[in-house]
Amino acid sequence: MATLIELKNVEKHYGSFKALTGINLNIDEGEVICVIGPSGSGKSTMIRCINLLEQYDPDGEIIVDGIKVQKGKNLKDVRAEVGMVFQNFNLFPHLTILKNIMLAPMRVKGTDEKTAEKTARALLAKVGIETQANKYPSQLSGGQQQRVAIARALAMEPKVLLFDEPTSALDPEMVGEVLDVIKVLATSGVTMIVVTHEMGFARQVADRVIFMDDGQVIEQGTPKQIFDDPQEQRTKSFLKAVLKH
Amino acid sequence: MLKKNLICFILALVFLPVFSPAQEREGAILVGANIGNVPWEFQDTDGSFIGFEIDLVNEIGQRLGRDVEIVNIPFNGLFSAVQSGRIDIAISSIGITDRRLESVSFTQPYYDSDQSLTTVIGSGIESLDDLRGQIVAVDTGSTGDIWATENMEKYGFSEIRRYEGLAPAMLDVVIGRVKGYISDIPALLYYTRDKPNLAVVERIPTGGRYALMMGKNAPLVIDVNTVISTLKQEGFVNGLHTKWFGIPAEDNTSTVEVRSMPMPDVELASNFVETFLNMDVFMQTYPMLIAGLGTTIQLGILAIVAGLIVGLGVALVRLYALLPFQIIAKVYIDIFRSIPLLVLLIIIFYALPFVGISLSPFYAAAVTLTLVSGSYTAEIFRAGIEAIPKGQFEASQALGLNYRDMMKDVILPQAIKIVIPPLTNNCINVIKDTALASVVAMPDLLKQATQAQAVAANPTPLIAAAVIYLAFLLPLVLWVSRLEVKFKVGDR
Ligand SMILES: Nc1ncnc2c1ncn2[C@@H]1O[C@H](COP(=O)(O)OP(=O)(O)OP(=O)(O)O)[C@@H](O)[C@H]1O
Ligand SMILES: [Mg+2]
Repeated sequence: MATLIELKNVEKHYGSFKALTGINLNIDEGEVICVIGPSGSGKSTMIRCINLLEQYDPDGEIIVDGIKVQKGKNLKDVRAEVGMVFQNFNLFPHLTILKNIMLAPMRVKGTDEKTAEKTARALLAKVGIETQANKYPSQLSGGQQQRVAIARALAMEPKVLLFDEPTSALDPEMVGEVLDVIKVLATSGVTMIVVTHEMGFARQVADRVIFMDDGQVIEQGTPKQIFDDPQEQRTKSFLKAVLKH
Repeated sequence: MLKKNLICFILALVFLPVFSPAQEREGAILVGANIGNVPWEFQDTDGSFIGFEIDLVNEIGQRLGRDVEIVNIPFNGLFSAVQSGRIDIAISSIGITDRRLESVSFTQPYYDSDQSLTTVIGSGIESLDDLRGQIVAVDTGSTGDIWATENMEKYGFSEIRRYEGLAPAMLDVVIGRVKGYISDIPALLYYTRDKPNLAVVERIPTGGRYALMMGKNAPLVIDVNTVISTLKQEGFVNGLHTKWFGIPAEDNTSTVEVRSMPMPDVELASNFVETFLNMDVFMQTYPMLIAGLGTTIQLGILAIVAGLIVGLGVALVRLYALLPFQIIAKVYIDIFRSIPLLVLLIIIFYALPFVGISLSPFYAAAVTLTLVSGSYTAEIFRAGIEAIPKGQFEASQALGLNYRDMMKDVILPQAIKIVIPPLTNNCINVIKDTALASVVAMPDLLKQATQAQAVAANPTPLIAAAVIYLAFLLPLVLWVSRLEVKFKVGDR
């Protein structure tokens, strides 16, 4: 399969603190990646570098679909191909659900209002909340809001979807509904990178699991390899700690 | 100065119950004077008050066995000051007029005066006829003001600009922003005698008679008038003329001859309502006030809109531009929030002409208010934008929105909600601050009201102006309070 995303020696400093160290990754088109690791290990930082919400150090390089990720006029092409879903949804509170989804296609791709609305309604149906179209975000439950956020990202028809702990801010009873939506997406052929603490979910949907610690990729492999036969000591102790709960 | 004037006036209102037989108090006679009105009352190099009228009231005090205390009050503030009893006597080459006699009393006159036109030598203005289509300067509410207003059409002045005294008016004459100054001839002869570039080019016969002004039928008037008769008979008053003008007065003038006290045609009852809520005065001055309100509103709206645009631009530069521009924006914001508005206005109006930028009073005021309002607005917008969670910016960027669309569709619509209460407060301040523009001779509501109250010698127009300000600011104030409560309860 063709490589879609390439990270070459990506590093990131916050002042003198080194949050990422020598990250090298190739991600194929259609691949579903789950990133796991302890808090503060650099998972968010890494995926946020992919659409340049964080600027990585100049020595490294990230390439998405043949385009180098950097400031400048190509950045909008990268961002058009990379959708992102945040832990805290980040819906626009002053816009209705429908308008939240329609805004980017209309402004970025120049889609006309009618088409944008049709697409938005179809996406809402896909994530199972077509009846909420004219409400405002604050009127929805957390799980519903996160599904809107997923629909909003999908409206741009991205090649890659980045998820940063999409269920961590949810009440436990709503985690399932969101994970179900992501599972369906995982089988649809879109490339996904999901930072998650849901080990069961990772085992079920991931083509590849990446374990990070201390700003580094420590170990990667199929879910079976990582969960059933981890090679590195740090992976073992992390899994032991999280799976005990 | 005007503000002080207004405050004095309001204080006078507060102490109205004591309405005030000031002259029955023991102790000093309080004399209000527009200091700087040469050669009648001005400051010596050591700061003491000197002049023709100062000498006169001091002598009168001595003859009555009372001390005299001089209080500096701008010309158009003298009327409400004697009416409210805050001072016993007003001096400042005040001319006796029928209108004024309706609400105050005068002693017999001690000086016959005319008005005069003063211009810059070589400016091409050598008589009143040269002033067609030109702007003339006068003192607010003075005899010169009254004359110029009555003769505006006859001589075709394009505008009458009203100042708070000789010094600022002459500054604008010298700058060339106004072409001539119409004022009392003795003061201008005295003022120009050592200024070779200025000349009194025309005497305007108005038959003015200067006298001491006092509260309506104040008991002290008779005593003072009697003393003046004595002083004239003794030759003391003419002695003052010689002292201050270099030559004695002619024989048949009121400086030499004893005259009777001027009396009003009809005697009006003087009570609270007649003084402060005088319907006739209100009806007469109403059109002036409405014209003033128009100017105030125009200036307010212009400054508010321009201030919003400047403020938003500066806020965005302050937040997102390259560092050097951010610093410039911050310096702008800090300076214009620190400098007193009045200081800035006076610099823009009186100092900029020396570097070739000469703005009309309206635009000087508009620029000043815009600069200051812009700096406050910038801080308000900045706070509003910074109150938007970081996630809103990140979500917009991740979706590929460009900077303009992000601000326009996501950030500013949310920020507006937050900034509306403080912005409305700022608008209220801008409208209130327009009143300061009256010091650069702009005919706003306050200026028109002070002029009207000086001409009618009655404070009713000031009360009316206060009511008009309240009528359109109070609803705004109440609206902001409601908004603030609403946003605190918060539906965000
Ligand atoms: N803006 C920042 N300035 C300084 N340090 C930062 C900043 N953002 C993150 N860091 C640090 O970088 C490290 C990696 O952070 P990151 O958010 O990527 O971790 P994470 O793996 O996503 O953790 P979590 O599971 O808690 O979300 C942490 O030590 C964090 O404190
Ligand atoms: Mg994280």
